[in-house]
Amino acid sequence: MTAKNDPQTSPQTVSDHTMTTTTPTPRLPPPEKPEAIRTRFKVIAAFWAVIIFLGFPIWWKTTSIYRASLPVPDMIDWADGKTCRPVFPLEIRVETPSLPDADAQNLLRSTQHTLDDLNEFSAHHLRLKLSNEDPDQPPAADAADTALTVRLLPQDDLASPRVALHHDTTQLDVFYPPSQIPPPSASNSPLSTFIADELQLLFAEEKAIIAQVLSDNNIPGAPTSPDLAESVTRRLRRSMKYADTYHLAFSLFTPGASPSSWDIQAAVHDYITPVLDAFSPISNFTVDTQVQLYATSSPTAPPPEYDETHSAWTLKKDDLSAFINAAEWPLSPSIGPGPTINFILYIPSPSQSPLVVKDSLATSWIIPQWGGVFLLNPPNHPTHLTKETLGPAFMTFSHQLLTLLGAPSTPPPLPLRLQTLTRVRAASLLLSASSTMGSLARLTESLPQIPIPATVATSVSTTLSHLSSACDHLRHGQFQAALASARVAEAEAERSFFEKSMVGQMYFPDEHKVAVYLPLLGPVGVPLIVGLLKEVKKVVSAWKERRR
Amino acid sequence: MGVDHRKAAVFGGALALRLLLSVLFPSLPDLLTGRVEVSTPVTSFKRLQEGLFLYMRNVSPYDGGVFHQAPLLLPLFSLLPNAQSHPLPTALFYSMIDLVNANALVTISDSGQAVSGRFYSALRKHIRWDGVSIAAWFLFNPFTIATCLGRSTGVFTTTGILYAFSSAVTGNSLNAMLSLGLASYLSIYPALLFIPLVLLCYDQRVQKTKVSSGTLPFALQHFAVFLTCILGLLSISTLLIGDFYTFISATYGFHLLVPDLTPNVGLWWYFFIEIFDSFREFFLGVFWLHLAAYMGGLTVRLRRQPLFVLTSLLGIFAIFKPYPSISDASLYFALLPLYRHLFPLMRYTFFAISALLYATLLGPAFYHLWIYAGSGNANFFYAITLVWSLGLSILLADTIFAALRDEWEHDNPELRGKEVRQV
Amino acid sequence: MLTPYSGLLRVLPLLLLALTATVSSEHTSNWAVLVSTSRFWFNYRHLANVLSLYRTVKRLGIPDSQIILMLPDDMACNPRNAFPGTVYSNADRAVDLYGDNIEVDYRGYEVTVENFIRLLTDRLDEDVPRSKRLGSDAGSNVLVYMTGHGGDQFLKFQDSEEIGAWDLADAFGQMWEKKRYHELLFMIDTCQANTMYTHFYSPNIIATGSSELDQSSYSHHADNDVGVAVIDRWTYYVLEFLETQVTSANSKLTLGDLFDSYDESKIHSQPGVRWDLFPGGEQEGRLRTVADFFGNVQNVEVENVNATEPGSLQEDLIEIARLVNKWRARDQAYLARQNESLVSKDASAHEESSPHYTVRTKVGPAKMSEESTWQKRLVGVSVLGACAAVWLTGSILGGTSA
Repeated sequence: MTAKNDPQTSPQTVSDHTMTTTTPTPRLPPPEKPEAIRTRFKVIAAFWAVIIFLGFPIWWKTTSIYRASLPVPDMIDWADGKTCRPVFPLEIRVETPSLPDADAQNLLRSTQHTLDDLNEFSAHHLRLKLSNEDPDQPPAADAADTALTVRLLPQDDLASPRVALHHDTTQLDVFYPPSQIPPPSASNSPLSTFIADELQLLFAEEKAIIAQVLSDNNIPGAPTSPDLAESVTRRLRRSMKYADTYHLAFSLFTPGASPSSWDIQAAVHDYITPVLDAFSPISNFTVDTQVQLYATSSPTAPPPEYDETHSAWTLKKDDLSAFINAAEWPLSPSIGPGPTINFILYIPSPSQSPLVVKDSLATSWIIPQWGGVFLLNPPNHPTHLTKETLGPAFMTFSHQLLTLLGAPSTPPPLPLRLQTLTRVRAASLLLSASSTMGSLARLTESLPQIPIPATVATSVSTTLSHLSSACDHLRHGQFQAALASARVAEAEAERSFFEKSMVGQMYFPDEHKVAVYLPLLGPVGVPLIVGLLKEVKKVVSAWKERRR
Repeated sequence: MGVDHRKAAVFGGALALRLLLSVLFPSLPDLLTGRVEVSTPVTSFKRLQEGLFLYMRNVSPYDGGVFHQAPLLLPLFSLLPNAQSHPLPTALFYSMIDLVNANALVTISDSGQAVSGRFYSALRKHIRWDGVSIAAWFLFNPFTIATCLGRSTGVFTTTGILYAFSSAVTGNSLNAMLSLGLASYLSIYPALLFIPLVLLCYDQRVQKTKVSSGTLPFALQHFAVFLTCILGLLSISTLLIGDFYTFISATYGFHLLVPDLTPNVGLWWYFFIEIFDSFREFFLGVFWLHLAAYMGGLTVRLRRQPLFVLTSLLGIFAIFKPYPSISDASLYFALLPLYRHLFPLMRYTFFAISALLYATLLGPAFYHLWIYAGSGNANFFYAITLVWSLGLSILLADTIFAALRDEWEHDNPELRGKEVRQV
Repeated sequence: MLTPYSGLLRVLPLLLLALTATVSSEHTSNWAVLVSTSRFWFNYRHLANVLSLYRTVKRLGIPDSQIILMLPDDMACNPRNAFPGTVYSNADRAVDLYGDNIEVDYRGYEVTVENFIRLLTDRLDEDVPRSKRLGSDAGSNVLVYMTGHGGDQFLKFQDSEEIGAWDLADAFGQMWEKKRYHELLFMIDTCQANTMYTHFYSPNIIATGSSELDQSSYSHHADNDVGVAVIDRWTYYVLEFLETQVTSANSKLTLGDLFDSYDESKIHSQPGVRWDLFPGGEQEGRLRTVADFFGNVQNVEVENVNATEPGSLQEDLIEIARLVNKWRARDQAYLARQNESLVSKDASAHEESSPHYTVRTKVGPAKMSEESTWQKRLVGVSVLGACAAVWLTGSILGGTSA
């Protein structure tokens, strides 16, 4: 009664064919019974019910690209700097233990006036504040960080005022001859001009750096002297890209068998940890060390030459870039999540000791954005390096670390430099997170086929909220808090932009989709559709019959 | 008594054969356990051993992502001595499970439900095998023996399904639901058998009590029993494992999302290796729907023979489920002889059996060429699994056709045996 | 009236030119992404192409950590290789490209379109090591070299998938958005190579390819002992230029010189160059030196012990010494306090005195306890018993109700 043309035909087509096809033989098969017709209708309906109620939802759900909605205009505004203009109001407390209140106020006012006149960079300005205004009052919650404390101390035997910076605190002592206290009526005085000049000088480099950072992000900064600008850009270019966690790798390389051990734990603890601790608000660090014996330099590197005049082996400055045998020395960049800063302590072999750099006789150099090298020439070629021997090397590494992390060179006291770095980092992170937001917004608009998971939307909203809190903190002069917020914003912004699932098949033309769907769904679909059409035809003809 | 003697002989012979094989060839069980045709990631005895090892040491058995079977198998197997040092008790246990399964087959066959039900009585009902022959056919089927020796945990699902059928045909609908609940708990897909099984139970009830209450209340009532059984098993599992989501995602998530594409005799693995990642989820849906879609159509079309619907569905599962093995095929083959009366109506038996034999013999060879000798590639083995599936599909289509033909002749007695014309 | 203005006008462009040249030509690091996209022995030449380029950029100073090398197959260890462990790009077999110092970052089946795009856009899992990441930033010059079998606007990867010109353009677009390059030189040697860069839209890219639409890119010569072609023509002549003319990273030869060295009669196809994305166009792009992309930034800063300007070594050392001393004093005070309070725990005081070491916490493995057989068996028996009880109840209930 029915033909089974194709042995591969799936069972349901057989069941359909069984009932629907009729033989074209002269002897007609008996007419179908009504219940058979009803059964067939039910069978087809059962298959179509599955397709309509389960198949289509699944198709819709699994092939549509999920795109979480992002606050695109806000993101673009952040990137364009419309939402936040970073400002740096530095609060400077002035202590005047030996001045009457009115005089102090007056001096303060005139100094502030001079400062404002001197300042050409509106985003970065210094605000003086008398500290003995309300000494007992606990600082308000939104009080600004104190960038510097200026103590005015009278000293009798002075002709002109002089300043002295404290080294371990953020304090500046100004010694002045008592005669120079300006009269209450004067709007300007030599003392206030002197103080203003000193303060301006103290923060000149910071201003230049911030101006540079802002202008890198197309925000007009202040004009700075070309010399300063050049040194600032050079310093910026040397420093590592900001990361939340840096990995420090201290390596001892020696071409021979000794020294084979070093007091590394004590050396790191004594010489490196203080600096790391000072940096802890800005970044995290992990430390790793290794000793590599028989570490020869690469065969293509020029060997050192013996310099008679200094009785030392010398390396040419131009050859230093080839000093590191990157091919053979295990300076793997693949440890941990953050970028690695390498510090290499190289002990030359006894036959080539002492080893120094030609002309300058320096024993250390910085490789920008990579790390530092120190050539240690210990006397007597010991097999074990004590903490004391390692001292100069590790102090140098600390200095190199400061440079590589982008600390400014002035003013000399470390606390002040770290504060400056805090402000610079807060600014640069704020700007970089903002620009990432803009990139992400433009990306999602330009690539309509890219999926946007919900985690990206969450990250974006976290970023935006932290960005605005960072901006608020900056405005109020709370730079530590601003940095903390900016760090979160940066991390979240990076996470949202580099979301793993936002790759997918970006370019997938529709004809490819046909190639995906047709081979499989075609054979299954054709009998189902044919069955459906036949049923529909029958229903329509029956309906017409009835109308007639 | 004579029948009992025969039954005892068949059962004893099967038991002896299994024990003899595992004693004479001690490496055979381990060899079969490692075969992809016998063990799938969801039934592998090796993986069960791993899970058991962790479980016995109070570590979550799903740690490490090797074990994907139902948690209740663990306390059960903790009762047996270590299969590595004492293989015999495990072999004996699996052999007993086979005998228990065969016993269920005898019950199903003896009920005669296959040839005459509430609405329908086959024309050639005199052509049939008795229960013991069917049990012998099952017990001495090489696929069954390989599954038993390979200690695949799929046999427990088989037990659940067979007891669901046997309880249904003997009129104990409650136990049918409990058994089906166990089978579904072990490996989800038996849940698709629920509707035809309920219909079978309903027909039995009506036939016995002659009271036809509504189908829907009956089905809902039994669905509640079925659901309660599964929930009970799941809650015991949760008590055992502690973390509900861990074991749900490691077991049912694994069944449903098919993350392990180890080759097997089915059609899924190769397809999902090749498909574009972005379409993976869609085709997972398509494949599962394809598997599920037959249930409705077959149940409606063959409403008069629910047991045949169940049998055919098992055949479909053996072809189209995500991790099929020869144990699924052996279950289908076990139920086929119940329809001995359809054999005269089948037309492609030779072709189907040839294809199956061809695949059985060449499959291991091609697998060896691909994996061990390195002189073939994945397409070799995949082609063989296609042949295997083709053979099964032909057999399945042929039996369904024969059943329909039988019904048709039943409805049109005047044309019986006349036109065997083909176009 | 007119003269001063015209003079100014004449000077102004020059001034602007000088300004842009000084500002934009500065880059701080160099990265190279070298990709071969085909596997199998008869594609030996594609891997040789890439390895030759790899040797060149390494010779010119880009360290391995800044070279991403993608090799989909291992020709050196191919059983058909008559010279095991080596790869040559010339029939004279003078230079073994495989050598000792080769760091393959993506190998075998890791070389996929997805991984390549993830590499460029850095959309990688957190666990992916840094050696497999392109760590370039806004100051990096990036060289991207690709070779394989391609067609009109696509390049085949591994015989199984392909990257479209659109995908590549979008990847570069995303890199530009995220400031992942300063300037980018894209080179491609494949059939119809020039179609691959037609869709680029992000600025600061110079692109060059070996052949035009509907043109094949040919191999240069075969080594009869190796048995297959060992290098492609275009790459061969690019390398010839680089190896013979660009002898050191200080070479002043420009990209203009490199592109002028293309000789269509030798290459047998028409190489193309795309300048329009580069600010200043061809005129400006030609001035970039070859070493800007193939070499590394060579600036080492020697620290003079005698220099005294702010931020110099000497100044810093004083500050650091102060800090160290302060720290030491604090440490001692801390130690003393520890000793006072915890005389008995003297031994442990030293470790505790360094509270600033952060100990890395690792995810601990789950504790494996002893095999508790009886307990588990009890559970087993009770579960089995419960199931049996349910079954029996079912039998009785079902039996009676039936």
